[in-house]
Amino acid sequence: MASIIDFQDICKNFKVPLRAKGKFSTLKNFFFRKHKTIKALKHVSFQVEEGDIVGYIGPNGAGKSTTIKIMSGILNPTTGSCTIDGFVPWQDRKKFVRSIGVVFGQRSQLWWDVPVMDSFELLRDIYKIPQQEFENTLNLLNEALGLEELLNRPLRQLSLGQKMKCELAGSLLHRPKILFLDEPTIGLDAVTKLAVRDFIKFINKQWHTTIILTTHDMSDIEALTNQIILIGKGQILYKGSFDEIKNKYSSTKIISIEFAQEYDEISLDGYQTISHERKFATIKNLPDKEFHIKDFVNQISKKYEVIDFQVDMISVDEILAQLYKEYGLVER
Amino acid sequence: MRPYLSIFKMNFKGELQYRGKAISGVMTQVFWGFLNIYLYIACLQNTSVDGFSISQMASYIWLGQAFFAIRFIMMGKKIGKNIENGNICYHFVRPLNIYSQWFCQTFGEKLSSVLLRFPPIIILGLLLPAGLGLSLPVSVPAFLLFLIGLILGLCMSVTISMFAVYLTFKTLSKRGSSSIVNTITGLFSGMVIPLPLMPQAIQNVVNYLPFRFITDLPFRIYIGNVGITEGAIFLAIGFAWLIVLIIIGKLLIRSALKKTVIQGG
Repeated sequence: MASIIDFQDICKNFKVPLRAKGKFSTLKNFFFRKHKTIKALKHVSFQVEEGDIVGYIGPNGAGKSTTIKIMSGILNPTTGSCTIDGFVPWQDRKKFVRSIGVVFGQRSQLWWDVPVMDSFELLRDIYKIPQQEFENTLNLLNEALGLEELLNRPLRQLSLGQKMKCELAGSLLHRPKILFLDEPTIGLDAVTKLAVRDFIKFINKQWHTTIILTTHDMSDIEALTNQIILIGKGQILYKGSFDEIKNKYSSTKIISIEFAQEYDEISLDGYQTISHERKFATIKNLPDKEFHIKDFVNQISKKYEVIDFQVDMISVDEILAQLYKEYGLVER
Repeated sequence: MRPYLSIFKMNFKGELQYRGKAISGVMTQVFWGFLNIYLYIACLQNTSVDGFSISQMASYIWLGQAFFAIRFIMMGKKIGKNIENGNICYHFVRPLNIYSQWFCQTFGEKLSSVLLRFPPIIILGLLLPAGLGLSLPVSVPAFLLFLIGLILGLCMSVTISMFAVYLTFKTLSKRGSSSIVNTITGLFSGMVIPLPLMPQAIQNVVNYLPFRFITDLPFRIYIGNVGITEGAIFLAIGFAWLIVLIIIGKLLIRSALKKTVIQGG
């Protein structure tokens, strides 16, 4: 089966003006401007199968949004080819965009000063959705998201969470085959976040919609999908199962210790100190050393006087932070 | 057509909500109207320039104030804002032609701001005594031609606004872009100095530029300064300009889109 999204060797360069520094720099900048090329994407390739949910993750500035924008036909790539649902997004833009829905978590597609329903009706006209189909879709979205009371209020009166629900509904009115979600849970409270996640799952099941999701919230990924693409500095670093990455790192334990007295240095065989301040310290086991509670207690009680300690699993966020570090993606 | 019509309606309705803005606009226009008229009365000293009499001049100025919203070049306010903050990316994921989409948006906003502002000023102008106020149109055919001219003016104004959108795309500053286009339009459309008062040599050029079709031509047909036949010929020239400018605008926007960079995030 052919993939619904086929991204081949895509590069995207941006030209940005360089600013000269020093005396008369403003004047110099005015007359002579040098440009620097920034490589936002470097030979990015991946495939997505129909009906999948794929998490697209990476630190800020990694190229996530650029990828989404190329996939949705907003930006032209510098080189490379890409077919989505049989179209080249930036060539057949008008035809192509009928099969996609897009939500940019930090932007709004609905009209700010009119009731949400008016925006929906405008979208109905834009996509030429037959009235009957529009009503059916809206009913379904209504039920799934609980929009009923929101529809007659202007967007500007809605809370962030309510707004996001409406944005999601708005992007799905024309029943797109593919849905791009760029940070859909940004700034949402816990309850709304859960509702949004449930809804994404529901849509995926109900309509077999292919969903590409970027997020910084790893719990989104955990709740929604096992397939991730990790991107950093414009390159794909990892493609595949999220569990695999988790397993690789889950052997790491974080141990917080409270000592009876202050020590100058904490050194234990096979452990690394993360932080140490007065009577408190946090350490973790080195990757090649498996954590055994008995061994740990033996070691530490021989050398130090311990009041209390607590062992934690490494969190998903920490796994990601480690991954970023490993690939040299953390700015220092 | 349906999608574009709906976009037009949405923006038309949206702008109608801002009544306070319209009221303050009307007050400003009335003030400027009086200021201008007294200024020109003082300058012209009850004489006429090339058959442009004081009462014709007063009518010309009142029409200009009443239909100021046509002359004032403003791109759809959401377009400028969205280009600056990057929300514009949603305009690209709709199955619509970008130029037509923005054209309808601007047209909707413009039409409603015209409709909200002109009636009170026209009524006031008609109530004022002759020589200071607005006279009735010279003839029924002239009035009909004036109406066609207004429609052309409205379309021309929106078309020229699209060049401001293009400049905004290039410079990312909606204020600067609008100001440049506005200054040029203001000068050549007769809103700073009525065109009949300009030196003949300049008039010979300006009369054939697209800007004068925004307001100058319909007003001069209304006051009888431009005759019916001459007016009809000029209207035809105006419509030709309109088509040319729309095509150029479309090409420019298309080339700009190829180099699009979306701001932020």
